[in-house]
Amino acid sequence: MASKTRVTIIGGGIGGYPAAIRAARMGAAVTLIEKDVLGGTCLNRGCIPTKALLHAGEVVHTMQESEIFGISCKGYAVDFAAVAKRKDTVVKQLRIGVESLLKTKKIRMIKGTATFKDASTLRILETEEELASDRILIATGSSPSRLKFEGADGPDVLDSTRMLELTELPGSIVIIGGGVIGVEFAQIFSRLGVRVTILEAMENLIPGFDGEIAQALEKSLEGAGIDIMTRASVTGISHNAGGNDVRFRIDGKESTVTGDKVVMAVGRRPEMAGLGVERIGLATEKGALKVDEFMQTSVPHIYAAGDVTGGIMLAHMAAAESECAIRNALGEKRPMSYRTVPGCIYTSPEVAGVGLTEEAARERYKDVEIGRFPFFACGKALVINRTAGIVKIVSEKKYKEVLGVHIIGPRATDMIAEAVLGMSLEMTVEELAEAIHPHPTLTEAIAESAMTLHGGAIHMP
Amino acid sequence: MPVEIIMPKLGLTMTEGQIVEWKIKEGESIRKGDILFVLETEKVTYDVESPGDGILAKILIQEGKSVPVGTVVGYLARPGEDVSGLSPAGLPAAGQASSDRETPPCPPETQEVVPPGSEEGPQGRIKASPLAKKTAAANYVDLRTVKGTGSGGRILRSDVEAELGRKKSGADIPAMPAATDEDRLVPFSGMRRAIAKKMLASKVETAQTYMSVTVDAGNVMEYREALLPLIEEQYGVRATITDLMMKITASAIRMHPIINTRWTDKGLLYLKDVHMGMAMALNEGLIVPVIRNIHDKGLGQIARDRSDLIRKGKENRFLPDDISGSTFTLSAMGMYGIEQFTSNINLPENAILAVGAIIDKPVAQNGAVVIRPVMTITLSYDHRAIDGAEAGKFMRTLKSFIEKPIRILA
Repeated sequence: MASKTRVTIIGGGIGGYPAAIRAARMGAAVTLIEKDVLGGTCLNRGCIPTKALLHAGEVVHTMQESEIFGISCKGYAVDFAAVAKRKDTVVKQLRIGVESLLKTKKIRMIKGTATFKDASTLRILETEEELASDRILIATGSSPSRLKFEGADGPDVLDSTRMLELTELPGSIVIIGGGVIGVEFAQIFSRLGVRVTILEAMENLIPGFDGEIAQALEKSLEGAGIDIMTRASVTGISHNAGGNDVRFRIDGKESTVTGDKVVMAVGRRPEMAGLGVERIGLATEKGALKVDEFMQTSVPHIYAAGDVTGGIMLAHMAAAESECAIRNALGEKRPMSYRTVPGCIYTSPEVAGVGLTEEAARERYKDVEIGRFPFFACGKALVINRTAGIVKIVSEKKYKEVLGVHIIGPRATDMIAEAVLGMSLEMTVEELAEAIHPHPTLTEAIAESAMTLHGGAIHMP
Repeated sequence: MPVEIIMPKLGLTMTEGQIVEWKIKEGESIRKGDILFVLETEKVTYDVESPGDGILAKILIQEGKSVPVGTVVGYLARPGEDVSGLSPAGLPAAGQASSDRETPPCPPETQEVVPPGSEEGPQGRIKASPLAKKTAAANYVDLRTVKGTGSGGRILRSDVEAELGRKKSGADIPAMPAATDEDRLVPFSGMRRAIAKKMLASKVETAQTYMSVTVDAGNVMEYREALLPLIEEQYGVRATITDLMMKITASAIRMHPIINTRWTDKGLLYLKDVHMGMAMALNEGLIVPVIRNIHDKGLGQIARDRSDLIRKGKENRFLPDDISGSTFTLSAMGMYGIEQFTSNINLPENAILAVGAIIDKPVAQNGAVVIRPVMTITLSYDHRAIDGAEAGKFMRTLKSFIEKPIRILA
């Protein structure tokens, strides 16, 4: 009997553990090395805990608006310690789930830090065990970036990881960075009664998303009482008894905003500490591991996936890259496609987009058409009292290919899946408009938006 | 209940058919066995008979439309039977008029009927993305010629664009010159497309090489004359020189198995049996009916098979199995007085024999010039599989068999 291919995966996050399961399913002998806990950033310090907190905020909001539905919810109280505990319970349960999946697949798990001894041998620093492998997947993820300015290392300047460890609510926070992480933290704490200010260096919040959608989100967050300063570059933080004075400059004019805590939400950087990639000559680019379209590094039997490869750092993209990487490592040959990677923000209203933004589409195609449909014209949206937002579709004129779908509104992050599937199948506006959407649902807004480019919407004048 | 008329499946390879012509109009009556409609596949046209007596109650698929095998194309009803509520699936149509409403049903003007699981559209069951289909339609690309690289072989826009790129530079189809009274555009039939595709593939995908030899045809003519009455009496057909040439060629092929091979990705496939294709001209184009296991058949049986196939061809009654599976093809042009010509290999075969006319010519024999009936035969062979020496040996055997046909009895 042929001996099994020995696959070692470094990192037990969303870019690592699914690859371990896939490799085991494909008949490999799999070892997974994780220096901390299974589930990585996504499960322990990112997607899942933030969503748990956001949902708590949604519950608060439901209480606040319950009178609209004829239900009185006076006298509720937010016990943030309990909220944090519930978040931890969810995280723990999911972690146990991942662990049992790996056990079921007979994947060997090593808790420790991996370092390359040579291109085929990994050493575990804590135990000095050495592992020989036929194929290696590096999925070591990322860690929060920190800007360098005066006071950036102050005791109240926290990154996303430390923010999630809070068990008491601060009175006010200043968030540096209005990207996905920044706006979600803003939403969480604002809903729980904290005064929130966002400082964003760019023209709009959530850079990279469709401009019109980003502006709509900005208005919505401002409407919820969040202070937002765009084109604001932070120059320093002074820690004092009254809190933390964050100094920033807009168009050359300096101002200050004060917060009990300062959140550093300025993105993430690939994590390769201790790995010793330079020892085996792995090529890097801008601090990230360099891979080709097959997720192969410069060393043929070593692959990499997820945040460590740089680019847009999203959990679902890491999962897709790791699937692609491990299949290629085990003999298949399929390139990774980034054409339909959705981006999701779990604010209220939610934001989701896939494909080209209007700006990018206009740059690439001469003629583009934009379809829009507002949720206020959607029956189900009115039923649930979530009428803010639109579905926006970007298509080219020649064949009416759907180039991008951008949603701000209720359940946008769930609804975007339809657009992802359709676009991956190269749909045109016709298919989207003519597909029978269930009634009454929020998805009708997608169909109606497509109809505006295909003979006209029904529920719009 | 009205009877469904379905697109029949003629042979294993048929997946869809095009209705070329309805022989009767809606409302007209027809008897069982009369021709109801004519269908065309890539390979053949075929007259479809009525499954019973009745009236053609409804035509669902109009002329010129291609539909998958098994699709209901119309309904046959008894006189007086109500067919107003019939839908393509044979179920009452949705929103059918109730007895007290006067809403006439809409005639399905150019309705496509597509069974579940297949993709809609004029191409029938072709896996292609919507965008690929639109790109193909706009650029006159036949999706059947495009290789899909998407999941499960699905054709994507990039595949259509790659196909466009393979076409001549200036991928845009030039505008048609304005038609004058003398010019006329005849749209390609399925058969013409199939011929074009096969001929081009033959030239592009093989290393065709040719060799000719002139043979004395005197004995062949004598043998035929001698056997004519016997065969006519026993088989009821007149044997032709071509029949005899096919018989002789089959015997030579048995001596040189390399000629009866097929090029495959894995290696050279030697085929045990010889199935002889014979090139035949129909009004619509070229077709190659097949005489199966010709090596086991006598001249009389070969003549009978050939005669049956020609009749089938003239009557549009070829089934796909009659015109597929040949292992070697013979093409004769004697009837047009062509002395010498080359044929294109009939893929996936590895060789084809072109047989010229028998012509009286002066030849040197025993030091004297005499007039003899001679014939030039030309072998086209795929040099990837068959070396010149092997082809030469085969032609030497063939020449010796033609000049002394008694040798095939050895």
